[in-house]
Amino acid sequence: MGWIFDVYARNLVERHFYKINYNPVEIEKDRSILLIANHFSIWDGLILYWLAHRLLAKKFHVMILEETLKKEPMLKYGGAFPINKGSKNMIHSIDHAAQLLADPQNLVLIFPQGKLYSNFVSDVHFEKGVMKIMDKALGKFQLIYAATFIENFQHKKPAVNIYLSGNTNCTFENIEALNAGYQQHYNAARLLQTKIVL
Amino acid sequence: MIPHRRIRWVQKLAMQYLLRYRIPKTFNVLHHTEVELLPGHSILLLCNHFSWWDGFWAGHLTNIYFHRDFYIMMQEDHLKKRMYINYMGAFSINRQSKQVIQSLQYAANLLSNPNNLVTVFPQGQLVSNHSDEINIERGIDYMVKKIEGNCQVIYYSAFVEYFESLRPSVYFHLLDCGTNHNFDYEKVKAKINAHHKQALKKPG
Repeated sequence: MGWIFDVYARNLVERHFYKINYNPVEIEKDRSILLIANHFSIWDGLILYWLAHRLLAKKFHVMILEETLKKEPMLKYGGAFPINKGSKNMIHSIDHAAQLLADPQNLVLIFPQGKLYSNFVSDVHFEKGVMKIMDKALGKFQLIYAATFIENFQHKKPAVNIYLSGNTNCTFENIEALNAGYQQHYNAARLLQTKIVL
Repeated sequence: MIPHRRIRWVQKLAMQYLLRYRIPKTFNVLHHTEVELLPGHSILLLCNHFSWWDGFWAGHLTNIYFHRDFYIMMQEDHLKKRMYINYMGAFSINRQSKQVIQSLQYAANLLSNPNNLVTVFPQGQLVSNHSDEINIERGIDYMVKKIEGNCQVIYYSAFVEYFESLRPSVYFHLLDCGTNHNFDYEKVKAKINAHHKQALKKPG
């Protein structure tokens, strides 16, 4: 079933968008990847799935809300695993994510915002869970920030800009430090995006 | 400049195609806020320009909300590539030539008839939807001063959002900028920018 989802999802992304632009980042072969991204639609997961195949070349996993997974059960063939915020099972999901990060073949995508926000937000606010995963898997993964923006411009179909930045420093004192680090990347990406004039 | 060659039934047919087929197929929700529309006034519609769809959205809003005859000002090189829009009420402006004045005068003449609506993109170019500043070109001031009769100036900021849907939704934030009689370029520019920044905080 996995390959059916794979073909379907990548085809969906390629058909829906005119172009997907991204900047290359350096990938370390001996470490897994923790991808942290902004969350504004269901497209961003699919776009990053496409990107993981195209650029990052690791096995894709994504943490999504349990209720979303119940609605769209086919997402599990794309590497989705559930998290139920506020329940006791949350710790299992966190352990599972940390275990995945121990294998250098894997990529784990997390949306630390915890729910959908607008694509136009200027401040990204993180929830705490991601910090626990990072503490548990410390040193085994490479941290990559992604900021995604969708815009139409002169074509009927929208275009996507993904701004990536690899991060050598994976140790953060607390969630605020991580949030500030991501915010810095997000602000720089947003500035580039707003400067686009055709 | 290229004057419009609007044919009423061609425009009507195109609008029906847009309204009943193309827009529902492409978009999830088109939502607009409301302003007070003055009867007996023509409408100068100013929009932020960031996509291929802008002109069609303006046509759509005219059809469902403003209820006027639709005209639109386009860049000459853009219009030449798609002359079919010429029959739906598009006329051209070439910012590099001396005919700019002629185009602005042409738009002002159209606006002197209270049944008409003219759409203008005051930024004069495609700018990112994420941009928090709207540049209003000086030509708008010139155009509004040339209008004889009553005209209401309306601005909207449009934002594209996705949320739970695979299809995008568009949110229009309308702003009443007064009439041509009390039009003050600097004040309107400040008002539009404040409105745009406010709308950007909560686009959806």
